[in-house]
Amino acid sequence: MTLSVGDRVNQVEQLLRRVKQNIDEGRVPAKIYNDPDIFELERERIFGRAYIYLGHESEIPHPGDYMVRYIADDNVIVVRDEEGQIRVLFNCCRHRGMQVCRAEMGNASHFRCPYHGWTYRNTGELVGVPAGKEAYGDVLDKGAWGLRPVPRMEIYDGLIFASLDAQAPSLNEYLGGMTWYLDLVTKRTEAGLEVVGAPHRWVMDANWKLPADNFVGDAYHTLMTHRSAVELDLAPRDPKFAMYGVHVHAGNGHGLGMISAPPGMELPPFWGYPEEVVRALQRSYPRPEQVEVARRINFLHGTVFPNFSVLNVMIAKDHRSAPTPMLTFRVWRPVGPDRTEVWSWFLVERDAPEWFKERSYQTYVHTFGTSGVFEQDDAENWRGITRVARGLMARDHDLNYQMGMSFLKRDPTWPGPGEAYPLDYAEANQRAFIRQWCEYMLNEA
Amino acid sequence: MVGISEEVYREVRDFLLREAELLDNGSYRDWLDCLTEDIRYQVPVRVTRDRGVESEFVNEMGHLDEDYVSLEMRVMRLETEYAWAEDPPSRTRHFLSNIRIEPGDRDDEVRVKSNLLLYRTRGDDPHYDLLSAERHDVLRRVNGQWKLARRLVLLDQTTIGTHNLSILF
Repeated sequence: MTLSVGDRVNQVEQLLRRVKQNIDEGRVPAKIYNDPDIFELERERIFGRAYIYLGHESEIPHPGDYMVRYIADDNVIVVRDEEGQIRVLFNCCRHRGMQVCRAEMGNASHFRCPYHGWTYRNTGELVGVPAGKEAYGDVLDKGAWGLRPVPRMEIYDGLIFASLDAQAPSLNEYLGGMTWYLDLVTKRTEAGLEVVGAPHRWVMDANWKLPADNFVGDAYHTLMTHRSAVELDLAPRDPKFAMYGVHVHAGNGHGLGMISAPPGMELPPFWGYPEEVVRALQRSYPRPEQVEVARRINFLHGTVFPNFSVLNVMIAKDHRSAPTPMLTFRVWRPVGPDRTEVWSWFLVERDAPEWFKERSYQTYVHTFGTSGVFEQDDAENWRGITRVARGLMARDHDLNYQMGMSFLKRDPTWPGPGEAYPLDYAEANQRAFIRQWCEYMLNEA
Repeated sequence: MVGISEEVYREVRDFLLREAELLDNGSYRDWLDCLTEDIRYQVPVRVTRDRGVESEFVNEMGHLDEDYVSLEMRVMRLETEYAWAEDPPSRTRHFLSNIRIEPGDRDDEVRVKSNLLLYRTRGDDPHYDLLSAERHDVLRRVNGQWKLARRLVLLDQTTIGTHNLSILF
């Protein structure tokens, strides 16, 4: 006897109610990290509504440049049209639904469907229908059959976000206070950031929420997961180095941590960026408080709900080198309850000196990305968690999300938006992420 | 192969097979000894492009982009007690074929192309990952011994089908 649909719906609802009830006690059932019904609901309620990161403007610099990206399972063409405007179009011919664009990137003034030859300008406009007169007579109104743009698309400082929900708020409203913190990374110079090359893409057998949870607030794991890097002096010699920072919930489930030098250790200010960049940010940041906050940052990690993460850290590219700052953006694209496709971009200031760009790039490739010595060990954890959450015991298995709940108090003097806690060994951000997730899943967001 | 003697062919083939054996056995220190000090080891990112575009490979970004020091760093990391990604170790098997050799730019160098099928499993999961690539190597004779001076790994995937690259090609 198998479970009826009704049984399954009940089970998922029960699980979600349980999450909602228990999160304020810092308890989360492990099952949410590997359940096919939770996943199906996420497709609809999270990925059908939230803003999802697609890519950076610098990846499509010239008119006609395009890249093919995803919003969960939805395939979209992100293209800069001939007038320079960026558009995000559903990669689906209006005639019989074939993918009109099958490369991952390129340059095209038009997209032509291989099935019946319907041809669209890179604005999405349908301009060519083979045998139009003979087959359609005067009936086909081309204006009504162009490639469909995604319901919402907005760009923040070169970061292209899209939502499948026509009723979604503006991106600025959605990001809320998180923009103040994104600015620390995007507004260091007037010319801003550029992506180098193309993103790393790889698939891991882990649930997408685990890396999102890790990047939103987990500084604690560095002492064990990344201990090998500490041993090799790629990260500060103090295994607990990541504790000494500020843990900020920026609202709407977005969160980040900004870590400074451990006591007794001196680290260069502003992540150790070169002089040119440090001078620039003092002019370029909108607010003086941002300069003061950035001055003390050596390691920044964060997640924009649901699955876009940022890591901007000063680490060494090998055991003989001094640390260098590097910046990576992530999308944890959900593929299945136990499968995630990782997209990992390396970015650097457009007008940073060449020697710095080269060093920062090397630092990124050796430490993070597909083969990164830090990143490798993270995947191990996330795969393992997903594995053991597959069975039945995970349903009643409460995970401890209670760090700091009993004693860690907000810092009322914190100059930025959101709730700031004076220790990055904290889990306020992780709890806030789960709460936000719950609201979307129960249709209460 | 033009310009390559039987003896050189045999030596180069034996070098490649031995090098692969060292990797599959986890003898990383011995493997480092197979490299020249100025080794460049690169695995460029690949993206799908329309037919006719010159190359799918993105030179500015690598899955790996290494020199001797960074490869040594990767080996040293495995020697700590904290290399979780490889503890327990992955099981790998390098299958080499289609070895093609040409004279190199220098008298003491040869250019070698080989096809690689790299099999990988971890834990008790019977599922295996299979990575396919063409390798473009430069071998250099140093004190009578062949060593790897350059490796360019041209992968046959754009999205990598294994959960990390804590293994080497």
